[in-house]
Amino acid sequence: MALPTMPHAGSDLPDLPLPREHECPFGPPAEYAQLRQEAPVVRVRCPTGLVAWLVTRYADARAVLGDPRRFRTRPGQAGHILAHMRPDLPVGEGEFSRMDGPDHLRFRRHMAPEISALRRVDQLRPLVRRIVDERIDHLAGLTPPVDLHTTFSRPITTSVIAELLGVPQTERVLFQQAADALFDAGMSKDGLDQTLMPLMEYLHGLVARRRQNPGDDTLSSLVTRNDDAGSGFTDQELVTMAAAMLIAGYDTTASMLTYGTLLLLEHPDELDRLRRDPGLAATASEEMVRYLGVGTGLLREVAEDTEIGGQAVAAGDFVVVAIQSANRDPELVDHADLLDVGRKAPAHLGFGHGPHQCLGQQLARLELTTVLSTLPGRIPTLRLATPLAAVEFKTNTVILGPSRLPVSWDAVLPADRTDVPR
Amino acid sequence: MKIRLDRDRCIGASLCLLAAPEVFDQDDEGVVLLRDEDPAEELRVPVLDAVQRCPASVITVVQNDAAG
Repeated sequence: MALPTMPHAGSDLPDLPLPREHECPFGPPAEYAQLRQEAPVVRVRCPTGLVAWLVTRYADARAVLGDPRRFRTRPGQAGHILAHMRPDLPVGEGEFSRMDGPDHLRFRRHMAPEISALRRVDQLRPLVRRIVDERIDHLAGLTPPVDLHTTFSRPITTSVIAELLGVPQTERVLFQQAADALFDAGMSKDGLDQTLMPLMEYLHGLVARRRQNPGDDTLSSLVTRNDDAGSGFTDQELVTMAAAMLIAGYDTTASMLTYGTLLLLEHPDELDRLRRDPGLAATASEEMVRYLGVGTGLLREVAEDTEIGGQAVAAGDFVVVAIQSANRDPELVDHADLLDVGRKAPAHLGFGHGPHQCLGQQLARLELTTVLSTLPGRIPTLRLATPLAAVEFKTNTVILGPSRLPVSWDAVLPADRTDVPR
Repeated sequence: MKIRLDRDRCIGASLCLLAAPEVFDQDDEGVVLLRDEDPAEELRVPVLDAVQRCPASVITVVQNDAAG
């Protein structure tokens, strides 16, 4: 793609650069380095037809995400990629990912103790460790090659989020189908609503049952804390909070597990460092999120005439924050394109920034760290069962990664059941 | 150094606790609490790290003439 220059009236805008086949699957398209240097805030045309300012530098990306007063989420954070996320649609009841200010904050405050407060995360440590250990034990009973995404990553994240929310095994397909539909760029709004309906109906029923008979799960806590404190959330809002946790908690983390495993298999020296020292699992997880996170970027809308990196932008303009590019900005960290599992983590944007920063980030860190501290040691001969060039990557979505990852191994070693390092 | 918190903005991300556990804690709602309003100078680096990592601009290190 030729470096975009400022367009004059009537000229075509360059397309938003997105990952392409036959290029390195582990980083932003090559032109982002030049964009950061020469055109750090530039207008592009997005796949859904939106025209947006593409912001590629770390400092500017951080400034946009950190100021919801000037840059709001009302259009939907993936409206540049997902056809069903039309910016003109009204914000639904409980649709907190498209709210800003106090309206948004009340939702985050209600969910934070359940999923991102550290006391809670520490309580979840044994559960996550048990789920990972059992899933690796399960792999031991299979004959390779197997697809890591469907036999390992998805079952782990499904079990964790479903146990957290108190959703029984039989109903888990509901939120898996919802996730597949939600993150599908080709899905229509009607198609999405139809796919979400069974999940929402199920959750309405579950909210009512938990209100009658609260358990010690997160959904019971969301309901009873709301009722006891008079927080005023409607059932629809409670259901939407639960659905958001189930859907995001399942698919985003599963994709990062699969994508991250592939990344390590393709960087065997780094995988070896991790295998020899499981204490590197936490920094390795953070580096993985810096390296691979949010490949398709985040959408915002300019709320008032202002500037980004010295470029004037007008109220109503759209902005695409290129997270992956920002995370490779030399201003953020030295040797930014190098994968280093021991890197002291910079304040990267892989979980976003600002009040909308990933709600589940601490749970995601716990799951990634648990897997990275155990999988390399238990399956030391884990390898790709297909050439890298033959690995299929998801297309037409916002959660990037392999759609399938065929892997093989010689043996699965037993778990040692020691503590997961922080 | 004096630290000021804008607790109304806190989203409970817990990044400040991880960056500077000697200085920051959180209540039962996950909202930030100060263990020490005036931590020693030796803690400036982790405190500034917490300031940078906070997603919601909650933490301010108040400049004063003596400490700069």
